[in-house]
Amino acid sequence: MPVIEFVLDGRSRVATYMQLVLQVKQALRVGLLRPGDRLPRVREVAQSLAINPNTVHKAYRELELEGLAEGRPGVGTFVVNTLAGPSLASQGELREELVVWLGKARKAGLSREDIAALIDTTMRSDFEPPAPQDLAAPADSRGA
Amino acid sequence: MEQALEAEGLGKRYGRTWALQDCSLQLPPGRVAALVGPNGAGKSTLLHLAVGLLKPDSGRVRVFGREPRGGPEVLDEIGFVAQDTPLYRDFTARELISLGGRLNRRWDAALARDRLSALHIPPDRPVGKLSGGQRAQVALALALAKRPRLLLLDEPVAALDPLARREFMQALMGAVAESETTVLFSSHLLAELERTCDHLIVLQTAHVQLSGSVDELLDGHRLLIGPRDAATPAGVDKVVRAAHTERQSTLLVRSRALPAPASGWTEHEVGLEDLVLAYLADAETREAETAWEVTA
Amino acid sequence: MIWLTWRQHRKEVLYTLIALAALAAILVPTGLTMHGRFEDTGLKACMDGLGTASLIPQTESAAECQRLANEFQQKYSSLAFVAVLFVILPVFVGVFFGAPLVARELEQGTHRFVWTQGVSRTRWALAKLGLIGGFALLVAVVYALGVSWWFTPLVAAVGSRMEYLAFDVQGVVPVAYTLFALALGVFTGTYWRRVLPAMGVALAGFTVVRGGIELLARPRYLAPKELTYSLLSTDQPNSASGDWIQSHGVRDGSGELIMPDARMGPCPAESACGQEIQSLGPGAHQWQLYQPGDRFWLFQGIETGIFLALTALLIVLALRRLRTLA
Repeated sequence: MPVIEFVLDGRSRVATYMQLVLQVKQALRVGLLRPGDRLPRVREVAQSLAINPNTVHKAYRELELEGLAEGRPGVGTFVVNTLAGPSLASQGELREELVVWLGKARKAGLSREDIAALIDTTMRSDFEPPAPQDLAAPADSRGA
Repeated sequence: MEQALEAEGLGKRYGRTWALQDCSLQLPPGRVAALVGPNGAGKSTLLHLAVGLLKPDSGRVRVFGREPRGGPEVLDEIGFVAQDTPLYRDFTARELISLGGRLNRRWDAALARDRLSALHIPPDRPVGKLSGGQRAQVALALALAKRPRLLLLDEPVAALDPLARREFMQALMGAVAESETTVLFSSHLLAELERTCDHLIVLQTAHVQLSGSVDELLDGHRLLIGPRDAATPAGVDKVVRAAHTERQSTLLVRSRALPAPASGWTEHEVGLEDLVLAYLADAETREAETAWEVTA
Repeated sequence: MIWLTWRQHRKEVLYTLIALAALAAILVPTGLTMHGRFEDTGLKACMDGLGTASLIPQTESAAECQRLANEFQQKYSSLAFVAVLFVILPVFVGVFFGAPLVARELEQGTHRFVWTQGVSRTRWALAKLGLIGGFALLVAVVYALGVSWWFTPLVAAVGSRMEYLAFDVQGVVPVAYTLFALALGVFTGTYWRRVLPAMGVALAGFTVVRGGIELLARPRYLAPKELTYSLLSTDQPNSASGDWIQSHGVRDGSGELIMPDARMGPCPAESACGQEIQSLGPGAHQWQLYQPGDRFWLFQGIETGIFLALTALLIVLALRRLRTLA
């Protein structure tokens, strides 16, 4: 039984292999995938999504290059690193605080778009310069 | 490197009409290639030449370095699923698997049986009484049981409903992952091509318009939007398709290196479907101009 | 290939065997009765006694023979119509086995399946042709032997086995016809590409070629012989000679044919008919153009040769055509 199952967004302009990479990273970030887990086999992914197996290989190679996964010949591709880091433990608490804050914002009359825009601009000014690039940054730089 | 499929100046004529002319292309092993083009573009002719059903009238075709009509050993390397997946309709799937074993030196009957049993296809019902999707799966299983190094499929999903189409592509992609066979399948459907193929051959009016790996093709093309009458930016090898409004020009260009950002031009990536359509439309325009004796 | 051929054609094979059995069910009882009667009435012994000379003297035994033959003929001549059926049977075997051999594959597109397996299409074609041809050959031989046996007494009583119809269903020619029809069916199947049109064209082609050769070529395989004899002699044509009389009549002294298709005498000069003969003038004589009965096997051989040559030609053409199909 594979730990995660991939889904594709047919309307997305993001390349298929990158969608797979991003889904693995997302799962790593929220702790759904942990070091030692086996990623779904290439054949399983190719078959269930009806996509070219070379695309799956490419995605897994990308994850290997980023140091997140490791291919073991004949066995499969395994997660060797994580993106969750120590933040995972405090995520629950932060989330609760965020919910409280969102309640306040709604009370103040902010719409969903207003809230998103506010968070976005605040994050931009706070993280400048430059915005962190999840895709390109090596995984171990933010490491454990 | 030995090519899985290689054509040089390949041509086939029916009477005076060339169904395929001056076709040169290379398909490296391990690729999943799509052969696209409108109906009557010569897709079936190319596949039939590749599997030795037809003899070329000019040029040559090689499968792993050998002529497909050179002898039955070459056919051992090729799995072929013809258009509309023709099978002996009064044979059962079980009989067809047994038949394949009698007609081929290399035959993996267990592989075919396992595939069909996983798909819940009844083994003892005449295949003429199966649904189109099931019949296509039987044809695919028979082609795979040869353990071919090159798998050729002629419009395998054209006649199938969307569900059967998806199931067929799932089975095909699963099989490719297992066997690492090279695949060339023809289609006149462009949607979802980007997911399934990593190599592309575009045929139109008996000629190859485009052939190469998908990554290289996408890297080598850009969509440029800029003011009308501006000079074409440097670095552009060829303008494939140009559309103009009163003030704006939209160019689909081929370029080896990224064109330097020229003033006024914005640069966009091109999707596979748009790229194919641009080449097909371009060929169509040229064809019409030739037919009407108009100079561009 | 053997399994495939059997699996694809087992229905036709079964139907053919049923048809053969049905045929046997008719032929064996009627044939036994005919043969029994042929011998019991003394007709066989009588005709054997007449020999095979073209002319024999008028004798009592010859007249008795004629009487017995007439009797036999009256009793069984209606069965001769069955022979018409026998003429068309070979073409059915050929057309039903031959035309679908390639045409059905092309019609259903299965040639693209079977020719892309690990067997070359020439081997495929030769194996199928060999097996189907072998079966057709076997059927035709059994059929020819059976019909020849069945037909012998009737033909002997009625006329010559070299005549139309009798020649066509006896000896070895039915075998050649069957193989020719098979080859023709295969050939038309490679050009018309659909089973029914291929069958139709094969049927029409068979009729034209068979009819043409039968009517135009066969009477000329060898130059016919001429026989003349006096109208007043005591000699008469031998009904047991087996000669195929192509034309006959009465000629006068100068050799001019004055009464085509007529047969007079022989009768003594003093009888009424003798008077009439003498009124034709001196030297009037009976004349006939004929192929002697002993040429039967030679003619069978020539016709078989022609049809086998055509069969080979059609097979070669079909195989050449096959290489260009896709």
